[in-house]
Amino acid sequence: MNNAAANAAGDKAVPVMPAPAAEAQLVIDRVSKRFGEGPGAVVAVDDMSFDVMPGEFVACIGPSGCGKSTLFNIIGGLQEEYVGNVMIDKSRIAGPHAAVGMVFQEESTFPWRNVLDNVAFPLELQNVGQSERRDRAQKFISLVGLQGFEKRMPSELSGGMRQRVSIARTLVSGPRILLMDEPFAALDEQTRLLLGDKITQIQQELHQTTLLITHNLTEAVQLSDRIVVMTYRPGRVKRIVNIDLPRPRTSDVVSSPAFGKYVAEIWGDLREEATRGMEEAEAGAAARGKTARG
Amino acid sequence: MAATEPVRPKAARSQGWTAGGPVSGRDTNLIRIGIVLGAAILWEGVSRSGWLFQDVVPSLLAIGAAIGKMLVNPAFYANLQVTAGEVFASLAIGGALGIFTGIALGSNRFLGAAFEPYVYYLAPTPRIIFFPVMIMWFGVGAASKIALGALSCFFTVALSTAGGMRGIDTVLIRVGKSFRATPWQMGMKIYLPAMRVPVLNGIRLGFGTAMVTALLAETKLSNQGLGYMIMQIYSRFDMPSLYALLIIVFIIAGAGNLILGRVTGTNA
Ligand SMILES: Nc1ncnc2c1ncn2[C@@H]1O[C@H](COP(=O)(O)OP(=O)(O)OP(=O)(O)O)[C@@H](O)[C@H]1O
Ligand SMILES: [Mg+2]
Repeated sequence: MNNAAANAAGDKAVPVMPAPAAEAQLVIDRVSKRFGEGPGAVVAVDDMSFDVMPGEFVACIGPSGCGKSTLFNIIGGLQEEYVGNVMIDKSRIAGPHAAVGMVFQEESTFPWRNVLDNVAFPLELQNVGQSERRDRAQKFISLVGLQGFEKRMPSELSGGMRQRVSIARTLVSGPRILLMDEPFAALDEQTRLLLGDKITQIQQELHQTTLLITHNLTEAVQLSDRIVVMTYRPGRVKRIVNIDLPRPRTSDVVSSPAFGKYVAEIWGDLREEATRGMEEAEAGAAARGKTARG
Repeated sequence: MAATEPVRPKAARSQGWTAGGPVSGRDTNLIRIGIVLGAAILWEGVSRSGWLFQDVVPSLLAIGAAIGKMLVNPAFYANLQVTAGEVFASLAIGGALGIFTGIALGSNRFLGAAFEPYVYYLAPTPRIIFFPVMIMWFGVGAASKIALGALSCFFTVALSTAGGMRGIDTVLIRVGKSFRATPWQMGMKIYLPAMRVPVLNGIRLGFGTAMVTALLAETKLSNQGLGYMIMQIYSRFDMPSLYALLIIVFIIAGAGNLILGRVTGTNA
């Protein structure tokens, strides 16, 4: 189960090496996605392959605009047209899968529902009776540390609290695979670290397979068993790094030397891509400026 | 837990879903009472000064007496009933058609692009110009006023519904889909509540336009209704009664608006 332990080579990066497909819970197999046609087309995801084992926590990291959300939408079944295969339980994803729960990058609480009713939403869709709905929702509200806020409206909560409501709402549906797209992007660093602890603690309790999409290096190393580093446009797998830090982990791990080594190592790769991303964006802006002037 | 408060992305997020109260009610109430008192004092001053004809600006006492008389006049209640019936029938017909059209325009990009310009161009035209046509179609009775009122509130409701439909935060729709909601569940649990505020605001505005249109039409050509009564009083040049009726209409319109606001939870 602990993939990192199997790889005794430890803190060295391993080359892209698909794990045995039979065991994997989520298989991403040569997935590509292009938006548009002709010269204006954008290749958002290009031939990505990696597997996620049952109970594993994998982070997918890359600079802004590299195609992370596109991959997230494909795996979640919200982007049904793509090339290659995303496989769960031996079937190809072409629509939302019952085993998958998604937490979105944007604010996604229902502003007209209070915390309790927001969290109970998936149970309502499954026609679960009211008292059972309340009990189950309550359990996850407590799990994300929001007990006492059941009757509050989202507009009365802070951004971090709203994000925890979204996470609880997804967890209550009992997903075997949890997909999260930059769930903490809008939060400050302290809140992010503490919510990271919550996520670790929840995963220890529920053992769900998790794929976290992020552009935050600290967050990725703090939480993951493995990190998939993506290139900037087209989004490809640059390499996969095993994070061999002891578990159970808390946010204290960020001050350990091993943690620093991982961060420095991955940052080396990431910086190349982020720099390229910025240069391309600047070149694009300059070109547009020239044509506008000319 | 300390956390930043990122600004919510859509304007819709700040519309009416807060449980908190409005800006301090006591201060605004004081200002409102002040305005009414000030206007009354000014009015009475002008009335007594003799600058204008006493007939045109009657004293508040005369108006007060006329209000009292009006409230025991059975003809007033008969006319009120006619007008109220017209307004509510207009609102029911125009509102239902408006919501239906708005959903069609808002959900279908092709339909929206094809037809919405017409709705926009027609919306601000004064509906009263259609009155002669309505009279020819529906006669001089209540039916022509209902048709005209329905026409005016149709545009208001259709435009605000279409806008509400398009204003839905798309991430909420993706949330619904990710939880594998059925089309029926998407409609009932996401689209409908997400559009509640703009649609209800449209209905509230539609109520206003339906009322204006019905009264206006009654003053032009009719044999019953409050608008008709206003013109009758005017022809007698009974100014105190005219003001009395205007004040009563004001109050009824304000109360209607307030009740609609209460019912729909959209009071400012
Ligand atoms: N629906 C779409 N139509 C056209 N282009 C799109 C669409 N969605 C995404 N793209 C393009 O694909 C690329 C990748 O977008 P994506 O949203 O996946 O990036 P991201 O890695 O999630 O970025 P961020 O970290 O800023 O959220 C971008 O260049 C974007 O412009
Ligand atoms: Mg993204």
